Order: sequence, then structure tokens, then C-alpha cells
Amino acid sequence: MKFTHTATVAAPRDKVWARIMDIPSAARCVPGVASVRASGKDKYQGTLAVQIGPVRLVLDGDFVMTARDEQAGTASLKADAKDSRVGGAIRATMDLALAEKEGQTEVKIATDLAVMGRLGEFGQAVIKRKADQLMGDFAECLARQVMTAR
Amino acid sequence: MTFDYHEPRSLAEALALLDRYGDDAHLMAGGTATVLLMRQGLLRPGHVIGLRAIDDLRGITPTRDGGLRIGATATLRAVERSPEARMYSPALTDAFASVATVRIRNQAMVGGNLAHADPAQDPPPMLAALNATVSIRSSRGERSLPIDELAVDHFTTSLAHDEIITGVVLPPIEPGSRETYLKFLPKTADDYATVSVAATLRFAPDGTIAETRIVLGAVGPTPIRARRVEDALRGQPPSRVRDALELVRDEVDPIDDLRGSAAYKREMARVWTGRALARVTR
Amino acid sequence: MSTHRLSFTLNGTKHELEVAADRLLIEVIRDDCGATGTKLGCAVGVCGACSVLVDGELLSACLLPAVFADGRRITTVEGLAKNDLTPLQDAFIREGGFQCGICTPGQLIAATALLSEQPRPDHEAIRTWMMGNLCRCTGYYGIERAIQKASGVGGQSPPNRL
Repeated sequence: MKFTHTATVAAPRDKVWARIMDIPSAARCVPGVASVRASGKDKYQGTLAVQIGPVRLVLDGDFVMTARDEQAGTASLKADAKDSRVGGAIRATMDLALAEKEGQTEVKIATDLAVMGRLGEFGQAVIKRKADQLMGDFAECLARQVMTAR
Repeated sequence: MTFDYHEPRSLAEALALLDRYGDDAHLMAGGTATVLLMRQGLLRPGHVIGLRAIDDLRGITPTRDGGLRIGATATLRAVERSPEARMYSPALTDAFASVATVRIRNQAMVGGNLAHADPAQDPPPMLAALNATVSIRSSRGERSLPIDELAVDHFTTSLAHDEIITGVVLPPIEPGSRETYLKFLPKTADDYATVSVAATLRFAPDGTIAETRIVLGAVGPTPIRARRVEDALRGQPPSRVRDALELVRDEVDPIDDLRGSAAYKREMARVWTGRALARVTR
Repeated sequence: MSTHRLSFTLNGTKHELEVAADRLLIEVIRDDCGATGTKLGCAVGVCGACSVLVDGELLSACLLPAVFADGRRITTVEGLAKNDLTPLQDAFIREGGFQCGICTPGQLIAATALLSEQPRPDHEAIRTWMMGNLCRCTGYYGIERAIQKASGVGGQSPPNRL
């Protein structure tokens, strides 16, 4: 499932870029993220706790920065996470694009999410909605973080 | 699945268990949703609190003012077949009769149905169109909630974890009101709706629409109250229905799934709202 | 995991068991009581193969916690006939109401419940009630004819909707 989120930050592009590239810090903008740490070059490990109705998930995963181009303002990430108790996994690729417009920066995040195993059975629509919400919150929080980190 | 099953005989006992086990407890009424979620491994409570043995949660009884009270552990089939419910409104019993199959309706209970908050269910839109309030108890006290405020998202209610739905109360229906429930089932007869519409309407003596409530199911993360359509019809003659229907498209927020594409559901929401309004304006 | 003492009758015979909280009725009926006539099909309450009567009510044994059986009277397909087949079972044979037989116990239980509640159901009533019992073999007409015959309404072919 695919979705895109856009957030506008009232800051120049290089500031926004620097903020995003501090991955452990930026990751905490996703509600439910705990303990993100670097596990190698451009590699991170983390845990995401998310609740969908009565179902509580704890997703343990890795994510890797697969591409980065500061000049162009683009980056790509790949995440793999699983909830071993429930027996399901997610795989996501995220493409980031930063575009400067009159001193402001538009942050666009395109996500492609695949849900496997038992999690997928729960209902793609429900999961999509939740993921959509999380990415929306992430984009907004990122915008706020950049504003306050002056 | 590994859990302790408790079957308290009183509401006080149930609330005490709920407080004691907190997040590790899950309430079970009929069990249709709970058993499925547990079997899929999506729900893993340490304690399941069964509500079937609690007398205070039972019954379908007319209230003194001409309304109706439905206990949380009334089965969907009990409501379907209740002469009191039918006398209150045949649309109410129709909506309950639309759910799945006889087997499911014999097991599933009203409180569980509301707490499960699947946006495609049949009872919630009808109860909302009938202006129901939900009675809720916790060890902190009692409260009543307009049913519009119960479901807040897919499978998510505004209930706190220590709260139990004890029943639903339906207000008396004004004389001359009409009610209907329509369920669009393009696939199988036992399915959830692709779109459903619950509508109530009452004419004023001058032939204009005095009051109307229109609630759509299966086209959003919760039942959707078509307020703009209602506002466009209030005080108007029924000839205005056609124009008001154009507003339905923007009221709904359907998703693509096995029961239809979002675009199809959006269009069908308009079509079936039209049919429901045709029924209640006859 | 808690365990619970259950006391229920199955087809007239009393059973006393201790079961774990997570057991389902279909498992207890088939594995503990040995009544394997009731079939597990979809395991999600949709197909109707596991249909049973609990105090005369039609239910899915695959969705019922076993603890719900305590104090109840359960009827499965094995409990329908006394010595001779019931008129319904006889009608199923005569009218081609089954082929492979896997859905048949559920069909019989569901139809029994229907005829208890509505002794002379019309086409609509039969179809509405029985729509929750899926059959991959017969195309349903034989089942419907059998129910009509058993109810004494007659054995004509139901209207062809196609």
C-alpha cells in the first residue's frame, strides 16, 4: 500500500535536512517509537509500539538508509520489522524529497508498505489507516522539531 | 491462547476484576469477535472477563416514556425477534436481522457489537439514526454517551479501559416518524454491507421535513452521520431530496477493499441514501 | 490457564469434563466426546459445517468457548435420529440434498432448527435461514427441495433465479 505525506517547515532546506539526517532523533517523531539506536553505518535498530483498536503490536525492526543525495535533497530508507508474538511483519520503503520554496521547505515522504503474515489478515484497510496516521504525525512532528531546534 | 476465564455474576464483581487486571484483561460478551481475534493471535489477554452471567446486563424492555432499553448482553437475535423492539421500530429489528447469519446473531451481543466498533456493522448506524445513548459503567461511576460519540475510529471506541457498556437506551419516537434501514450487499447475503443507510424522518403539518437523521455504515472509519444532507433537508419539501443527495459524496470517506472500491462506495452511498429517503418520504 | 468443570448433555447423554479456558466447543464435542459428525470447515463461523443446537438454538461450535456449554443441552447430527431417520434426513436422501456429505451434518442441524421455528417455511424463508450453510457440491436446490418436502409443503423444484 502506498501513501504520501507532505509537511511544510518554515526553515531553509539545509536545516531541515540536518534535522532529518539525525535519524535516532527524527525517528522519535513517529508515535510509539522507542529505543532507536545505530547498529552500523546508515543502519538502525528500533522498536515501534502501536495499537489498532484492541490489538497491540510491538514491532522490532531494522532500518537502513539506502540512498542519500544532499544536493538533490532526496533520501531513501528501507525498514523491516516484525511482531514475533503475533506472527506478522512489515516492510516499508520511504522516499524523502525536500524542496525549498521561498525560504520554506516542503518535506515529501512517499511510503510503500507491505504487511505480511497474521498482521496482513487483520485488514489491509485498518493497517493502512493507522500507517497513514503515523506518517502524518511524523511529518508534523518533524516540522515542529525543526522549528524549535533553533 | 493462554488465559484465565472469569465469569462474574454481578457488575460490581466484573468491574473489580477489570480494575484488578487492567490492561491484561479483555471483556467478552457473546464471544464472536473475541474468539476470532484470539485465534488469529491478534489479542493476547492474560484474563478474559465474560459478561454473560450478569443479570443487570440482560433484557429488552420498554421504558416508561415510550422508549426502549436494550441490555448489553441481549443477543442480536433477541433484538431481531423482540416484539417490544419491533413495536418500537420495525427498522430497528430489520437492522439487527441483517447481521450475518442466524448463528452469529444467536451468539453475538449488543454490548460487544458496539465495543467492537467495526465500521461496517449494521446495528450502530440504525441506533444512531434512532438517537440512542449508550450506558456505561466503571468503578468510577456511571455515564451516558450519545452513540455518535462512541466509535472514534476503526475498531476503536472512546471507552476507557475500565469501562463496561451496560446497555443502550432509545428515546421515544415522535408520532408520525418514519424509519428505515437499507443494506447494500452486492456480494453474499451474509456479508457486511458495502454501504448501509439508516434514516429517520418526520414531516411537519405543512408537508415540509421537520426532522431527519441519516447515518451511513461501511463508508468511513466509523458510522457517518450525514449532517450536511440533514441540514439541507430540514424545513424543506421532499422535492429537495434530489439536490441534497449531491452532498452525500463529500460526507463519506470510504476505502478500497473486497466489498468495493472507494469510488464505487462513494457513488453507492449517494444512490442508497436516495433510496432510504424515498422510503421515509413516501 | 484456568480450567473449568463443565456439565452438559450431548444428544441426551450427560458429560462431565474439566476443560482449559481456551477450548472451543467443536474441539470438546469431537475430541473429548467423540462425536465427530460435526465438522470443522472454515473455523471462522462462516461456512456452517460446525452448526450445532445449544438448548435448541442454532450456533457455530467453532466460535463457542467450551465453557459456554455448561448446563446446556447440545444436539449434533448424531442426535437427530432415534431409531429411524427423521423425515428431514429421509428427504435429504430422496431429494439429492448431499453429495460428498461434508456440509450435511450442518445442513441437517440448521434445517432442523428452521423447521422447529417455522414448520412451513416458504422459499424466501428457507433461503434466508439456510444461506449460512455453504455447500460446494449440490448447488443447493436439492437441499431446498428436501426441506420443503420434510415440511410437507411439497417437493416441487424451487424457482430458478438464473
